[in-house]
Amino acid sequence: MAKHDTPLLDELEKGPWPSFVTDMKRQAETHPECWDILGQLELSFKDRITHWKHGGIVGVFGYGGGIVGRYSDVPKQFPGVEHFHTVRIAQPAGLYYSTKNLRALMDLWDKYGSGMTNMHGSTGDMIFLGTRTENLEPLFWDLTHDLDQDLGGSGSNLRTPSCCLGDSRCEWSCYDAQDICYHLTMHYQDEIHRPAFPYKFKFKFSGCPNDCVAAIARSDFALIGTWKDDIQMDQAAVKEYIAGNYPSNGGAHAGRDWGAFDIQKEVIDICPTDCMWMEGDELKIDNSECTRCMHCINVMPRALKPGKEKGATICIGAKAPILDGAQFATMVIPFINVSKDNEYENVIDVIEQIWDWWMEVGKNRERVGETMQRIGLPTFLKVMEVEAMPQHVKEPRSNPYVFWKEEEVEGGWERDVQAFRKKHAA
Amino acid sequence: MAMSVEEVEAAIIEKATKSPKPQLYIKDFYKCDSDRKPREMKNIANGLVKKGELMFWSSGSTTMYARPDRIKNEEEGEGIN
Repeated sequence: MAKHDTPLLDELEKGPWPSFVTDMKRQAETHPECWDILGQLELSFKDRITHWKHGGIVGVFGYGGGIVGRYSDVPKQFPGVEHFHTVRIAQPAGLYYSTKNLRALMDLWDKYGSGMTNMHGSTGDMIFLGTRTENLEPLFWDLTHDLDQDLGGSGSNLRTPSCCLGDSRCEWSCYDAQDICYHLTMHYQDEIHRPAFPYKFKFKFSGCPNDCVAAIARSDFALIGTWKDDIQMDQAAVKEYIAGNYPSNGGAHAGRDWGAFDIQKEVIDICPTDCMWMEGDELKIDNSECTRCMHCINVMPRALKPGKEKGATICIGAKAPILDGAQFATMVIPFINVSKDNEYENVIDVIEQIWDWWMEVGKNRERVGETMQRIGLPTFLKVMEVEAMPQHVKEPRSNPYVFWKEEEVEGGWERDVQAFRKKHAA
Repeated sequence: MAMSVEEVEAAIIEKATKSPKPQLYIKDFYKCDSDRKPREMKNIANGLVKKGELMFWSSGSTTMYARPDRIKNEEEGEGIN
């Protein structure tokens, strides 16, 4: 029996798609506070303004993140959501859960919270939606002691690092994404659990340029696997694809008849750098022009593979659209070796070089990508001690002036005029 | 002469006590000792939270610091949103 009339929300149950309203009504049968979420949301629809108050001082002892305070501003009307805090649970690397673990987590949340979840949040955490302040410490105790799991990052903390499946299931992975994700999670425990920066900072690790965790679009620090040498090619397998004996894209589009595979149309003609061609029945690639888009490898996985000299590209500064709109990360370091043998020391050096600069120069609530944009890429490259290269250039410049720095001009600003006049008479 | 950790802590507490706004960003504390790196200042400020001299206030996306006596919990009816 519904506690509140929700005619506006009920409209959202009428489409052919799954409805969160239906889910909440079902959940309200065992967690009555969910009726009050529906009631408050209905009121927000009517008033056209949120009735949530976001943020606060709630948390668990010793941590400065992982819990986001949320309160109702109409608690008398909706007492079930007077407190409705969010708990962020750190996801395991590659999102590998056992069903046993998932059941245990859900039992825990049924016991201490509303039972409602968001799987997963944009950072990758499992988000538990809605609990009261007095439940936070018991929940945290059981989570850490019984399930051996931890809270994720929130606020101005390093957010829970996330990665793709990496070497565990993917033959294209150019480094062990899960291992570095776990290593850096442990290395930066303080930064994850306590605020450290002017604003949030996210790591994401993708094993290859397919970038299955969308690191280039969603992380301040994206480590994307790549290779230095030539794409590995099996010409016999190329012929099998052309003959139609191997399904293209690993059979991913096999549900419909797309006609015979056409290597010219489906691979060569849509190579973004036009670096492939056929010589007789042999596929040729000008690897110096390849930008690692992965399309040819995705289409013909049995014939083409990433090269053997593997590592990663570091892209910095992606963000979602809070201030100036969504922004992709900028490629800063084209190739870096990623090795567990040195405990990722060289990657850590790059991370801390960025942090030292951003913490000094970044404004409050400014993501590192916004700081880079404000200060300019040439300055950032200098800070990072990276030589500028054509791949750093986003677009042809529109400003006709060149502003030289003193050290770039022979003799600097203090040139000897007499010596100059000897060569260049007035 | 470089300030000791205790002197920096005292400067941070004074800043958090006297600032017009009860909540401060970590960057607001940098000037308490401009010779120290921001990461060191962050560690000192977080150490003060551990000692109960400061508290975290988080919006979910940003975290700020405040003196506990200048900030009231929502449950005490003095919300600061």
